Amino acid sequence: MPGKEDNRMSCSEFDALLSQAIDGTLAGDRLSEFENHARVCKLCGPLLHEAEAGRSWLKSLTEVEPPDQLVSNILLRTSGVLSSRHVTGEHVPTSWLGRIRNWAGVLASPVVVMARQPRFAMSFGMAFFTLSVTLSLAGVKLSDLRHMDLRPSSIRRTYYETTGRVVKYYENIRFVYEIESRVRQFKEAATPAEQPSEQQNNNDRKNKTKNDTSGQPDQKQERNYSQEGNRPIFAASLPIYRGPEPVRFSTVGAPEPTVVSVTTCRRFS
Amino acid sequence: MEDAQLAALLVRRCVAGDAVAWEEIVQRYHRRIYNLCYRFAGSADDAQDLTQEVFIRMYRTLNSYDVGRGAFMTWVTTLTRNLLVDHFRKTKHDRLTDSLDATTSDHPDAMTLGDRIPDEGPPPDSGVQSRETKETVHEALQKLSPELREAVILRDLQDMDYREIATVLKVPEGTVKSRINRGRAELARLLQRTYRQVM
Repeated sequence: MPGKEDNRMSCSEFDALLSQAIDGTLAGDRLSEFENHARVCKLCGPLLHEAEAGRSWLKSLTEVEPPDQLVSNILLRTSGVLSSRHVTGEHVPTSWLGRIRNWAGVLASPVVVMARQPRFAMSFGMAFFTLSVTLSLAGVKLSDLRHMDLRPSSIRRTYYETTGRVVKYYENIRFVYEIESRVRQFKEAATPAEQPSEQQNNNDRKNKTKNDTSGQPDQKQERNYSQEGNRPIFAASLPIYRGPEPVRFSTVGAPEPTVVSVTTCRRFS
Repeated sequence: MEDAQLAALLVRRCVAGDAVAWEEIVQRYHRRIYNLCYRFAGSADDAQDLTQEVFIRMYRTLNSYDVGRGAFMTWVTTLTRNLLVDHFRKTKHDRLTDSLDATTSDHPDAMTLGDRIPDEGPPPDSGVQSRETKETVHEALQKLSPELREAVILRDLQDMDYREIATVLKVPEGTVKSRINRGRAELARLLQRTYRQVM
């Protein structure tokens, strides 16, 4: 009966000897008893076949080849030095250009190895994404940077433009504008107190002009400009132009000359 | 010089600060540790990361290795196995490691894990195992429970004896043998359903 003890071997004994039987270390009477039980028992027989099949499947798996950079990665992360085998085994170039390239490769290889790892690539990607988002939010376009003129005169011009923009922005701030307005009001409020002294200066200048015997021309023009600047001009006070009038010459006792009218025509082009 | 003596000498030199000895250790054992990690974890990327972690931990704790307590390879395998168990616990939610006879639902007629594995694919050649067949066996190995998986990997892929496996897994030899037999049989049942016409 399956699962029950036969004449010589129980199922638990069979299970204990299964590994040795598959490994081939079971021999003699124990092996014959084992094989006999496997033929009779309906539970242990299939178990033996399945275990043998599973072992053969597992043995079919061959050893996989580790990645090439695994050893160098391990050495870099533990002792921090590159493999001495790799360094001594490589061909050392004789030209100075080749030596520089070799040195650059040795110096850059740890960085390259680190950058190849997915976690660092992900970090770099996130940093680039953050930078690009920040630049786009700040209004900076990469195309503008590409066409940027780096000549000294252009940089100087850019500097002045930027400075002017900053000053304009500063002056347009509401707070600054209000402060400047208050300061201007204070200055205007303080101006009437200074007018008497200004009138006195004007009188002194008039007296000085009367007593002046140097023959220098008087500064009438300057005074007129200043008066016109302060006095309002009304349209009614301006002389009305009535067009050209005939010129008449009259002398006593002389015959009346002919009347000559002169008309000027202004051509607008 | 025997392997055990050579390994002990390398460890002494490495503890004394010899970088060449450490590189020799890495060169000698990295392939074996990588294969152990690959067969247990299932993916090449995880195996590469885990192998590096094993050597980093080994480099830090190398002075704790006692030659008199066992072979260096057993110590390294124990270290690797502990790290793999930690990794398995961390990634437990991402894995499906139920038994082949277990179902994902409580319904009695629900399909088992073995039934849900597709039957398509060419039958394996008796002489030459194709790449697809090896991948199928490797995928089937990932379906075993971790206890059975580590036992069959150490025995059939790493060729360790029962006593060494018992030391690494910290269980009696009888338990080791039982797990190996159950693991082999379960793997065969899974592949039997995949290649019914051959088995």
